[in-house]
Amino acid sequence: MLHYNIDYYEPSSISEAVKLFDKLDKEGKKPLYLAGGTEILTLGRLNQIYTKAVIDVKGIPDCNVQGLHRNSVVVGAALTLTQIFEAGVFPFLGEACVRIADRTSRNQITLGGNLASDIIYREAVLPLLLTDATIVIAGNDGIRHVPIHQIFNETLCLNPGEFVVQIIADSQYTKMPFVIEKKRKSERVDYPLLTLAVLKTDSSIRAGFSGLCAFPFRSSAMEKELNNTSLTLKERVDSAIRLIPAPVIQDIRGSRDYRLFVLQYTLLDALTDLEGVRL
Amino acid sequence: MNPYRVIGKSVPKKESWDKVSGRVKYVDDNQEVGTLHVKLLTSHYAHAYIKKVDTEEARKVQGVHAIVTGKDYPLLIGTTIKDRPLLAFDKVRYYGEPIAMVIADTEAIAIQAVTLIHVNYELLPVVNSSLQAYQKGAPLVHERLEEYLIDQENETTGTSGGIRPIPGTNIANRQGIRKGNTDEGFAQSDFIVEEVFSFPQSDHTAIETRCSDVEIKKNGDVIIHSASQEPFEMRELISETFNIDQGKVHVHIPLVGGSFGAKTSVQLEPLAYVASKSVGGRRVRLRNSREEDIVTSAVHIGLHAKIKMGCTKDGKLQAVKFLFLFDGGAYAERAVPISKAAAFDCTGPYAIDNVWCDSLCMYTNHPYATDFRGFGRTEAAFGVERTMDILAHKVGLCPLEFRLINAIQPGDTSPTQVLLNRSNLGDIKECILKLKELIDWDQGQRIKISDRKVRAKGISCAWKNGDPPPGVGAGAVLTFTSEGGVLINSAAVEIGQGTKTVLTQMVAEKMRMSVHDVNIQMEVNTQLNPESWETAASRTTFLSGNAVLRAVADAVNQLKRTASVVLNVPAEELVVANKKVFKKTAPQISIDFSEIVYGYIFPDGTVAGTQVIGRGSYIIPGLTEMNPETGKGVQGPEWNVVAQAVEVEFDKRDNTFTLIRAITVADAGTVLNYKGAETQVMGAMNQGLSFATREGFIYDDEGKVLTTQFRSYKVMHYGEQPEYIVRFIENPVKGSPFGSRGLGEHGIMGMPAAVANSLSIAAKVPLNQLPLTPEFIWKTRLQRGGGSNASL
Repeated sequence: MLHYNIDYYEPSSISEAVKLFDKLDKEGKKPLYLAGGTEILTLGRLNQIYTKAVIDVKGIPDCNVQGLHRNSVVVGAALTLTQIFEAGVFPFLGEACVRIADRTSRNQITLGGNLASDIIYREAVLPLLLTDATIVIAGNDGIRHVPIHQIFNETLCLNPGEFVVQIIADSQYTKMPFVIEKKRKSERVDYPLLTLAVLKTDSSIRAGFSGLCAFPFRSSAMEKELNNTSLTLKERVDSAIRLIPAPVIQDIRGSRDYRLFVLQYTLLDALTDLEGVRL
Repeated sequence: MNPYRVIGKSVPKKESWDKVSGRVKYVDDNQEVGTLHVKLLTSHYAHAYIKKVDTEEARKVQGVHAIVTGKDYPLLIGTTIKDRPLLAFDKVRYYGEPIAMVIADTEAIAIQAVTLIHVNYELLPVVNSSLQAYQKGAPLVHERLEEYLIDQENETTGTSGGIRPIPGTNIANRQGIRKGNTDEGFAQSDFIVEEVFSFPQSDHTAIETRCSDVEIKKNGDVIIHSASQEPFEMRELISETFNIDQGKVHVHIPLVGGSFGAKTSVQLEPLAYVASKSVGGRRVRLRNSREEDIVTSAVHIGLHAKIKMGCTKDGKLQAVKFLFLFDGGAYAERAVPISKAAAFDCTGPYAIDNVWCDSLCMYTNHPYATDFRGFGRTEAAFGVERTMDILAHKVGLCPLEFRLINAIQPGDTSPTQVLLNRSNLGDIKECILKLKELIDWDQGQRIKISDRKVRAKGISCAWKNGDPPPGVGAGAVLTFTSEGGVLINSAAVEIGQGTKTVLTQMVAEKMRMSVHDVNIQMEVNTQLNPESWETAASRTTFLSGNAVLRAVADAVNQLKRTASVVLNVPAEELVVANKKVFKKTAPQISIDFSEIVYGYIFPDGTVAGTQVIGRGSYIIPGLTEMNPETGKGVQGPEWNVVAQAVEVEFDKRDNTFTLIRAITVADAGTVLNYKGAETQVMGAMNQGLSFATREGFIYDDEGKVLTTQFRSYKVMHYGEQPEYIVRFIENPVKGSPFGSRGLGEHGIMGMPAAVANSLSIAAKVPLNQLPLTPEFIWKTRLQRGGGSNASL
């Protein structure tokens, strides 16, 4: 239960939504875009999120598309994690989505909500980072298409009043082999100790990490080591681990050292699995 | 084999259909128009002086009726040591402790106002574990222990009595056990081990969070609706604390949505009483959020234990020595009786002549503890049963054989020096032998599955005496419908354990009628129900059952007396069955209950008998005082024994594991309701495995609990449980209804040790802490050398 009252708006178009935001913002209502609403509710009741108005984007058709268009796969930001997994249009993304939270929550949590989340994991971004996806963003100045690597740096760096409409990836990525492993403390439903996503393109291995540092990331330095086939598998993994770009977190789910232990064997498993595919 | 018609049968619980269709109303489901809502402001710190509580801004919020702070009611309450302020007024002693409360039109308004109360704290050094609390020079949680009152009624005897806090320390109570001579025992031992075990506090996580409504009528009647296991104790506490006649305190307890001991602590009710008083007696509701239920209300106790055990080379136990440092948290409450009960049964079901135990209930700056399923035995058994495995390993004996050698038998004595017999003990040997078959013990304890995976089996035994204070009892009244059906009036609280249904089975069995013709009210109402001791300690079926059986006997006598006049047959030649009274030797001479339950009127107007009202009451005989130094005394009517096993599949590389099978063989005395008994035990096993593998508070360095939500406090999800196998043996107890033994807690007691034993065997390292996370196993293996990739 939220202990404060909020105004609720349900626009049916992008332009209506951004205009509403502008208006509510000027009125001092600290508006938030809402899709699944899970985070606004659960953090709002703890006073960690405060707003007087929410703009529900679920009624905007552009936010609900899902399919292949020419050489691209398009997924609307207001689709739930369950819908994305079940549609199977973008299997890599779907597999990342189905490991988040529990089924009941996934029926509610949306792709856009997960990408823009305040909670540090944002696991749905991993396939987008690895497939060099494009994020379609709506704002006061209209719609812009931005490469994920420009807009996602630790968090999704949106300007005030902007929201994610869709994500677009090259359709070739829907067919490439990948591994997603989510390791938890001991439960089947929990935040990750580590979520590892590895994609094997025609030329190289790409890897993304969540739960390891205070934000999800893809690191070219680490990938370089993972792709260094002059080394043994274990050496590749160990040299990559030395290049983790930020402090490894230590929290109630696991110590820093334990996370590194888990990372090591999970990377070994993933590479063995994917390179086995090549053979 | 079962000589009974209704007893032992899997009669579905009377409330089941309402539960599964969502029609049951718990306290929070009933909404009365005009109710005001209370929200607590709780402490951000574990130990701090309260310098100032500024409520000015909060009072301005529209819809706020009153704000109460600790200063307004500087009362100390408690059911053992009266050490707990209603609302903290001079200092806070745990993270989450109530400091103030807002009473407002809605809960939302109350929450808003709470966020506007400003508290100035002056931080104090924190006592962050029971071991730290025990150290010389540790900060004191209570500086003036000597000034506290101790609950008068509990001052003299039993598990809840004889309490003696030690001023100038953090020791709320020390209970000793001195049996035989441990120095001699260890001198006779060829093998001795000494180990340390520990686990943090945790939570009960009942689905229904605690909730209370209180209204004070203009005539002074105090009407309480609450989720509680102890209606009469609550009545007494409210009466005593606020100086109100008990007869004016009405306590209503509807069905309770799970408890596991959590709802034995009276906390919200006196707060809600004060809240109601502050708004002129209007009805108020105080309900816990999940966070408050986990940390502000009472929790499951933690333990740090040191155990030394010795045996001869042929495996006969000679001596055992225990130091228990229980983490009772900031207030004594029920932690003291738990720590005492752990001492009384400290050895587990083994015959040991020389026993020394010091069980200390320590004050810490953690949430305060109350009863938890097992009541000290689940906790003690973790250490004892791990030690049994470690010692067996050292001697080179099979752990199952080692337990058989030492299994306690009739003729042996308990740690409290009670002479045991077949009735008051049960048969642990029979349990172990049956377990041996069920777990396929002879196929091996550690079996290789692949290069990475092994399967391992761990076992444990446990026992528990249901140890209420002397003088406790229960009452029951039976009335009849005009059709001859029976209505049971009993104050047993239905918390999911199925007691209410079992009571109807007892009546149906004794009166030889259908269980469908016996009804029982689910709600408890202290104005209507005869007094009964709290629904706890697996004693309710025993106490209320005995009362109900006496009420049946009384009602049957009355029925026969009336029928004897009507049928002109001597009462002793009459029997009852199928809602009739008839002549044993000539069943055609009979009369229906429906014709006599309200008295019988002959055509000439003369009357035979009056309304039949069966009365029964019971009090446990034979309990004695318990000596605080030696522990000598009779703490309860009987022990109940279980043997348990867990099989795990362990991944040697990752240190992860899967629970494969869990088995319990319990001596049920007599099974009263087969499915009911089986599911009670199974549920308890699940709770034990969840506790052992996942649960446990994580505190930061300042004593703040970091795991106050289901996001961070993890319990086992459905689908993660192993295969559960539950079997009963039946050695009846004298003096218990149909010879039954308590079963509500027995499934949990050995589970933590059994899973720790199985994983210790699988990982080949001693795992002596809970919870048993893969990280803990990994860390233990690293510390033991050889690294995590050590060959196994």
